[in-house]
This record gives sequence, structure tokens and C-alpha cells, in this order.
Amino acid sequence: MIKLVAGLLVAAVTLALPAVLDDSALAVYILLGLAAMVTVGVSLLMGYAGQVSLGQGAFYAIGAYTAALLSLNGVPPLAGLVAAPVVAALFALVVGTPLLRLRGHHLAFATLAMQLILLSLAGQLEFTGGDIGLQAIPQFAVGSFEVGSAAAYAYLTWAGVALVMLVTRNVIASRPGRALRALATSETAAASSGIPVGRYKLVVFALSAAFAGLAGGIYCFYAGYVAPGSFPVLISIQYIVMAVVGGLGTTWGALVGATAITLLVQGLNSLGALPGMPTYAPGVLSYAVYALVLIVVVLFLPNGLLPAIAGRLSRGRDDPPVETR
Amino acid sequence: MSAFLTYLLNGLAVGCAIALIAGGLVVIHRVTGVVNFAQGTFAVIAGLCTSSLLGLGLPHGLSEIAAVLAAALAGLLTGLAAIGKRDTTPLSSLIVTLGVGVLAYAVEIVLWGDQPRSAPGLAGSVTIAGARIQTQHLLVISVTAAAFVLLALFFGRTYLGKALTACASNPYAARVVGIDTRLMGLLAFALGGLLGGIAGVLVTPLRPISFDTDVTLIVNGFAAAVFGALTRPVVTLVGALLLGVAETMAAGYGYGSHQLEVALGLMIIVMIVQASRRSAISQEST
Amino acid sequence: MIDVKDLVVSYGTATALDHVTLTVARGEMVALLGPNGAGKSTLAGTLAGLLKPASGTVSIGGRLALIPEGRQLFPDLSVADNLALGGWRSGERDPAFVFDLLPRLAELAGRRAGVLSGGEQQMVAFGRAMMSRPDALVVDELSLGLAPNVTADLAGHLAELNRERGLTVLLIEQNARLAFDLCRRAYVLESGRLVTEGESAELADDPRVASAYLGGAIT
Repeated sequence: MIKLVAGLLVAAVTLALPAVLDDSALAVYILLGLAAMVTVGVSLLMGYAGQVSLGQGAFYAIGAYTAALLSLNGVPPLAGLVAAPVVAALFALVVGTPLLRLRGHHLAFATLAMQLILLSLAGQLEFTGGDIGLQAIPQFAVGSFEVGSAAAYAYLTWAGVALVMLVTRNVIASRPGRALRALATSETAAASSGIPVGRYKLVVFALSAAFAGLAGGIYCFYAGYVAPGSFPVLISIQYIVMAVVGGLGTTWGALVGATAITLLVQGLNSLGALPGMPTYAPGVLSYAVYALVLIVVVLFLPNGLLPAIAGRLSRGRDDPPVETR
Repeated sequence: MSAFLTYLLNGLAVGCAIALIAGGLVVIHRVTGVVNFAQGTFAVIAGLCTSSLLGLGLPHGLSEIAAVLAAALAGLLTGLAAIGKRDTTPLSSLIVTLGVGVLAYAVEIVLWGDQPRSAPGLAGSVTIAGARIQTQHLLVISVTAAAFVLLALFFGRTYLGKALTACASNPYAARVVGIDTRLMGLLAFALGGLLGGIAGVLVTPLRPISFDTDVTLIVNGFAAAVFGALTRPVVTLVGALLLGVAETMAAGYGYGSHQLEVALGLMIIVMIVQASRRSAISQEST
Repeated sequence: MIDVKDLVVSYGTATALDHVTLTVARGEMVALLGPNGAGKSTLAGTLAGLLKPASGTVSIGGRLALIPEGRQLFPDLSVADNLALGGWRSGERDPAFVFDLLPRLAELAGRRAGVLSGGEQQMVAFGRAMMSRPDALVVDELSLGLAPNVTADLAGHLAELNRERGLTVLLIEQNARLAFDLCRRAYVLESGRLVTEGESAELADDPRVASAYLGGAIT
């Protein structure tokens, strides 16, 4: 009951915000929604498949380039937007088949390598526009109805967030989803109980890529251009920070994490941009915040912010395992 | 022919720097089971420190040593964050070292700005068999060789080195005989910082270093370490030298823009081959 | 020498040892019997200081060494290095006195510990524990997986050390016959609790102990 009310409240606020925010606040609101979409996937991948991807930005980039290239070549924007998650997911299926044989740190580095390779290629190939990227991407439109205002993009973005969260909820509640939960705890145990571990991991990987691809697709229409510089390695790390902060494997946690980090970084950026601050202040502050939040949460709130708060309210702390040197 | 020899020696020098980074990764991974994402950061810190210390008028030698020690200290601090807290899993530790790397960005930009910096190294060049070799390249190769020999002696011949190997070989048994495995892990991190620092000091005169150079360094270092399955220093050294030579040859003969892709692609292929071989072995044994 | 009072050790919410009290006097050799999962190795780990008690006390009147279950050698290091590392606490680096005790080890000194047979590995584990010049020795599963003649050889060395040098020994065993042969006194641990204790001869006659530990035991 409380959950339902809270959910409705969040939905109401989400729907009301675009009407009251000004354009610069709307920009933050849209970027927050896009980050949340990717983070839901990262959280699913880390929390349910127990895998760390340092290359989620690559799927974001694939989605953005896909939608941009298609719509620049006369394909209707809606088809471009639909293609963005599909292409990202297909790419994930292709690279994931060999990559998911790797575990832990190997997969983390392989996905990072994947992103570096893609960025480097995008910066060199002609049809992706090289380092300059692709410019003058048309506005998003469905038929003759054009999405032109920032408020309209905000609605589009948050519709995407809702879709991503709905899909994730259904995946988690499904039978394979419950099997996946076993996967995160012990891969060996899951495998020995007959769960097709490899296939489930691949599906989650592709799903997380699709979420990132969708976000990338919306981003390219909103921004109007894409370039390799829009997808630095740090963006992938940012999604991990958000997922970890919110609590891995929780749909709402990803939203909370994305919101908390976006607002925090935004606040620090405005602080860093105050007169009298050195020019490097905004960058330095956001690096420091990402880093400190990530370290503190991983070490001291391993379940993330949301479960930690919920846990504190409902019950006492479990005793830590006793083991000494 | 002389061009080939020049590329080969340049490549070996590049490979040596990669080898030092990778060597640090291997030392830390063997003892603690953690892959240290901040390994490239140590080289960046040492490189930036050298450029500042030399700029302040400190003599060569002293500046480099101080910079390497600063990197070792950074290694120790990274270790404290990554494994200082009990019951941190290796994957959590990896994420913590990732955080340390990003934190270092903030510190480095405040101290040194965000523009690449260089430092003077050994000037001049020598001619060997008709090939002109920069003296700095020879310095890189000889210092790396010395570092690896000392490392081998330390692990193979000294009691402390054997205790570190013991932690890698069987951490539970190490605790049984009374070795403080966490302290040894911190020592390994400091050693990793030292090796990364040497790489940074050697490389800065060859190619300028900025705060975000660490990504290239760590990815190349990891690629080399993967050759040795993150545990075998000699294979890692060979992998690093091959990688350095291959990249330099590619650049020298006109495929320069694709050298990173080649290195990363190779790394992924090696990892996948190793992973499939591992799973084949585990299937046979069950 | 070894004094355990009201010891409770738990892993998270699971209690591995539940109010265990036992003593081993200086120079005594005592057995601890129990089935798999009774908490024997937890007790060994706690005595060696590897696990922290949730409550109760453990006091050791001297230096204690552990021969852990499954030998737990350093497989990549030579036998000589394994022994040398055994002296980490005591500062003892020269294994000559261990070679006097266990001459077979001198022949194996240069071999890699990982390639040795089970019996040889157990001997290295024994020698490594002695390198710390212990006053008390906890042996976790001496006989597990070893041929009877190998076990007898190691047991002989253990008894000799106890008799001639006054080494205090707590022998944790599943093989009750071996334990009763070597030790005058024994404890029986089941599901984390001590269920009975007494003279070996009496315990061997106890029908419950006999059926549980001697009936099926292969000697």
C-alpha cells in the first residue's frame, strides 16, 4: 500500500516537473532520465548476473550513432529510435557470446576495451563523421507531430524510463528472473541446478545494452549531434557509481542512484562555476565526488543507499562474519 | 633494415614501460587477488612529480627517485582503500581502485592542471648497426631489465619475497604460519606503486603525460598481464615486449592510427582463449 | 596449557561452537573426536587465532602451532621454503633440527611441495609446524587420506615428541582407534557441543562411542 502511494507520488511529480522547470533545469532533468535508463541496465547486470561492465557507454554510443545515422539518411526518427536499442542489443549478443565467458575483472576490462575500440573507430571512420561526429540530426517526430521543446523531450525521456523499469520489473518477477537471483549468489550452484547460466547472462547483457541504446537514441535527437567526445570512459564509470549508490539489482535503486548523483554533481558544478573559483573547479569537484561516493558506498554500504535506508528503518544490522587475522 | 632496428628498439622501450605497469598488476594480483585499476595512475603521478621536481631545480636522479617513492606511497594508499577493510571481495576492491583512479584525476588536476607535461630525459642518441637509437630508449630498456632482475631476486631469494609468494600460493596457510596477509597485500600494493612509478619516470621524457594518460597505460598493462594470466611475471614481460614492438611497428609502417585497437583486440582474444581453455579443463575434472 | 572456557564461535547467524569447555595440560596428549561438520576445524582455527570467538575465552600457555586439515602447504614453494616460512613467528630459519626429527624431509628439501605424495605433504606440514618451536601442537586430521603405514609413521613421531620433549598435543581425529591408541584422554564433539569426555579406555567401552566411532571406522 505504502509502496503504491509512493510510486504514484513519484509518477505524479515526474509528470508535473516538465511543466514547471525552465530549459536549463529541463536539460538536467532529461540527462538524469537518460542516465537512469542506462543505470537500470547496469544495476540488473551487476546485481543479477554478477558482472561488471566498464563499457556501458559503448552501447549508449551505439544507440546514439544508430538513431543519428538512420534519421540523417531519411529514415523516420521513430524507426531510428526503435532501431537504437535493437542494434545495441544485437551488438551485445554478438560480442557478449565470447566476452561473457570471462568473469569479474576480465569482463570489466574487456568491456572497457570494447568502448575504447568503438570510440577510436568512430573517431576515424568517415561515415561516423570522425572526431567531429554527426551534426544537424533532425528533431524527433512521430508522423507529423514533431518533438521540439525541451519539455516534450523530457516526457519522451521519462516515458523511456518508465518502459525500462516496467520491463525490468517483469524480468525480475519472471521465472528466469528468480533463477537469475540464484545466479548472482552462486554461479556454480545455479549451474548445477540446471539453470542455463550462460544464456541468461547473455540475455541480461543484451537487455542492459538495449536500455543504454534507447537512452542513446533519445540523446542524439535531443542534443542534435553526436561525437566520440560525448561518450568518454568516465560516463561508463558514472553509471557504475549510480548503480552502486542506488543498490544493485533494484529497479528503484537505479533511479535513486541516478537522481542522487546527478543532483550532487549538478550542485557541485554550480558551486564550481561561482565567480572566484578556478576554471578547473567543476571538473575536479565532479571527479572527486564520483570517486569518494563510489569508494565509500562500496566499502561501507555494499547494498547501496536505498536498501541501507530501508534496512535501517525495518530491522537491525546483521552481525558481520567473525574472522580475524 | 636500420629503420627496422630503430622501430624494434623503440618498440622494446615502449614494451618495457608496459612491462613495468603489467609487472605491478601481477605482483598485486598474485598477493591479493585484486586487479588494480589504479596501476596506470602510479605512472602518471611519478611522471608529473618528476616534471615538477626537475622544474624546481632538483637534480636528475634525486627527482626521479623522489617521484618513484611518491608513486610507491600512492600504491600504499590505494592498497589501504582497496584491501584495508576486512572482507572486501576482489571485485569490490577492483571498483574501489577504479574510484581511487578517478580521485587521482581530481588531485592531479589541482596540482598540475589538465595539460600534458613532459620532463627532460637523457639527451642524444647512439648509432648501433646503422640505426639511430635515442639514449633515453636505452635507459628505459636497461632500467627495466634491472628492475625485473631485482624483482626476481626479491621473490626468489629473500625471506620477505617468499612470504609474499606464500600469500599468493595459499593465503590460508600463510595465516596459519602467522603471516599477516593484509600487511603483505599492502606491501604488494606499495611495490606495484614503485613499479608503476618507474614506468612513469622513464616514459615522461618520451611522451608527455597528463592526468588521463592512465587509461592507455592500464589497458596496455592489463593486456600484457593477461598474457601471463595475471600471475606469471616472465610471460607478462614477454607479452609486454611483443605488444610494445607490435604497436611501434604498426605505427612505424603506417598503421599508427589503429595501434590501440590492435592491442585491445589481441587482449580480448587472449582472454577468451584462456577462458575457454579454463572451462574445458574444469569440465574434464568434474 | 590449552584452556578453553565456554567458547562460542559463529559464522554470521550459524553457531559452529556452542559453549565448549576443554583443557589440555602441559605435556599431555589429548584427542578430540567428532563427525564431519561437528566444529572440530573451527575449534582448531580458533585455537590458532584465525577465528575470533563470539564469547568465552581461549588461553594458551605458550606458543601454539597448527597442522591444518588438508596440510595446506605452499604448493609453489620448495619444501625447504615451506619449512623456513614455518619459522615466521619464531624467527627460526634453519630447518636442521627438523631434519633431525624427520630425516625424510632432508631428502625432499629441494622438491616443490605441490608435487609430493599425501604422506610426504603431511610430513612437511608437521615439520613446518615444528619450525615455530611450539609448546603445543594442534593436529587437525592427521590420518585423513593417508595409508595406514604412513599414518603409523607420523603418529610414531608425534608420540615421540610428546614423550621425550614434553610437547603438548591436541589430536583432532575422525579415526577413533588411532586417537585412543595415542591419547590417554579424549573429548567427543557433535554439532558444536561437547557430548562426552573421559579416559580413552572408558570411552572405547562406551557403547554409543563404540558404535559411532569404532564400528564403522577403518583402521
